[in-house]
Amino acid sequence: MPSDLLLVLPLLIPLYGALLCLAFWQREQWMAVMAGLAQVAWLLCAFMLMRRVLALEVIATQVGNWPAPYGITLAADVFSAMMLTSAAIIGLAVYLFSLQGLDVTRRRFGYYPLMLLLQMGVAGVCLTGDLFNLYVWFEVLLICCFALLSLGGGKGQLEGAIKYVTINFLASGLLLSGVGITYSLFGSLNLAELALLVRQPEHPNLPLLSMASVFFLVGFGIKAAIFPLFFWLPASYHTPPVAISSFIAGLITKTGMYTLIRLFTLLFVSDQGFMLPLLAILSGFTMLIGVIGAAAQTDFKKILSFHIISQIGYMLMGLAIYTPLAIAGSIFFIIHNIFVKTNLFLISGVVAQRYRTFSLKKLGGVYLLQPVLSVLFLLTALSLAGTPPLSGFWGKLMLARAGLEAGNYTLVAVSLCVSLITLFSMTKIWNEVFWKPRPVAVKKDIAMAPINPLRLWQLYLPIVLLLAFILFTGLYARPLVRLSERAANGLLHIGTYTDTVLSNNRAK
Amino acid sequence: MRTIIFATAIRYLTPLFLLFSVYILFRGHNHPGGGFIGGLIGSIAFVFHALAHGSDHTVNTYFRLKLYSQEGKQPEHASPQYMWDLVRANTWKRAEEVTPVNWRYYIVRVRPAYMMALGLFLASISGVPGLLQGKPYMTASWLELEIPIIGTLGTPTLFDAGVYLLVLGMVLKMVFTMSKE
Repeated sequence: MPSDLLLVLPLLIPLYGALLCLAFWQREQWMAVMAGLAQVAWLLCAFMLMRRVLALEVIATQVGNWPAPYGITLAADVFSAMMLTSAAIIGLAVYLFSLQGLDVTRRRFGYYPLMLLLQMGVAGVCLTGDLFNLYVWFEVLLICCFALLSLGGGKGQLEGAIKYVTINFLASGLLLSGVGITYSLFGSLNLAELALLVRQPEHPNLPLLSMASVFFLVGFGIKAAIFPLFFWLPASYHTPPVAISSFIAGLITKTGMYTLIRLFTLLFVSDQGFMLPLLAILSGFTMLIGVIGAAAQTDFKKILSFHIISQIGYMLMGLAIYTPLAIAGSIFFIIHNIFVKTNLFLISGVVAQRYRTFSLKKLGGVYLLQPVLSVLFLLTALSLAGTPPLSGFWGKLMLARAGLEAGNYTLVAVSLCVSLITLFSMTKIWNEVFWKPRPVAVKKDIAMAPINPLRLWQLYLPIVLLLAFILFTGLYARPLVRLSERAANGLLHIGTYTDTVLSNNRAK
Repeated sequence: MRTIIFATAIRYLTPLFLLFSVYILFRGHNHPGGGFIGGLIGSIAFVFHALAHGSDHTVNTYFRLKLYSQEGKQPEHASPQYMWDLVRANTWKRAEEVTPVNWRYYIVRVRPAYMMALGLFLASISGVPGLLQGKPYMTASWLELEIPIIGTLGTPTLFDAGVYLLVLGMVLKMVFTMSKE
């Protein structure tokens, strides 16, 4: 398959899937079939892209066949292929979960097409090679997020969605300003060409680049929920149903993080003496505040939401240390976190399906009735906390080692403490939800939903699949570590990327 | 408030608006215009119609098609006479009084959402010919002949037509939803 097609397919498959869903509007079973086909095709396509990228390192196409700095560039390297593949895997898992885990009304009113369009946005962010298109794809992604967060229109949901919309509009405005400033400074929006321009030491506008970079840091910082800008996240992520929030929580903040890593390795490299210490401080506070916030919560989904913030801190830590090992650690951590976080949200959904509440005070005794689910939760939660042979451990090991090698002792110390508190708050969920007996007062109030073995099995299936993947990356971490190192290498040595994108000017 | 002058004028202006919007759509490649602005102008036609007559009337007039046919399956349905009646009832003699009593009608609705879907489909499919020739997605290919007023046709025209339908459907969806209270 030619690269031209392979790079466009991740955008076209979800688009056509969503269009087919629209054609079967309100016939919910047909919509589900179409969406399922699209998800499988997307996953296959992501794997093929991964294979191609592993063979060629970077592939690029110019949409419209206009040469590179003027045309619309789509490019994929190992990092973007990794993001795309993991997005496709959790997309399929969340789809499988939604077949039983989401109410019919939401499915009928456009859950599937919105989900597919959201995935198209993610693919666009990962594949674009142009600063302005990056902004546009982020808008595509966010509009779908708005719609999904408010789908169904519960009171809490609308409240969360309004907060989300308001702050993200602000972020988009900042991003657009940043794009404009960058364009007026360097006269180009093509990432590869910009990367070459900012590496010319005699360029007259180079000292002004840090100003543009601050716009991007704040804009994507809001989207990735880093330290002072994270308040919207715990206010909105716990409100929608699990089939929606698991995908958004698992992937969207990481997409912001992906972009930060991409831009701060490709473009904003000239003023690292100022930027890296700033990032280090931000990452330390992000970890700490996130995990302390989680400790204060008594709602299953809210605890998980706060943990997203704390995990974002780790990803930022790798960027702040800025050595090949540290960036590789960040990438490993992003991939690990996408799977683990989605899986934890899905498990919370299964618990809530049976017990009809997310509140820790009202839950209890799950271990007695659903031992399998408890084991699934325990393994995933320990992965998140980073207990040795599981996947979170390897990510943290890479980051901590890179930090020690670079002499960032405070940051490493903070990260290890945060790791411990994470373990504490996972134990808290375990104690409250699974271990303690079910409160007697609640037993009378809220009847448990009747159990249907086939249905339960369908809910378990995606969780087991994701857990298998998490265990694989934990117990046999070598392939993923290698892959992350390769991706980090590609990010830090931009020669292949710029050459491939800019040499692609074949005007046929 | 319904004024008879406005309502009558709009009835004749609507086709004019639509014609103008299509003209804008086609001239867009080399002059100011194009799918987006064409779609907006096209939607003005229906928005004014909805202002004058109410959105329900607009939907009934332009976005709902009644198809007449006889009920059941009978042997005389194969006859040329029936075919002729079928065509006549569904094209120029649309009014109920000329159609026979035992005829049924089916309602085909053109929802704005379908227009949006079709528009997206057209716009995205316009890039595929480039792929089929082994070139990057959305590489333009043009027909040789030039048509007066419209100009040359090619895949970018198809893209613009898709945008036209998308914008039209989007605006109509918003207008119909909001006027429904």
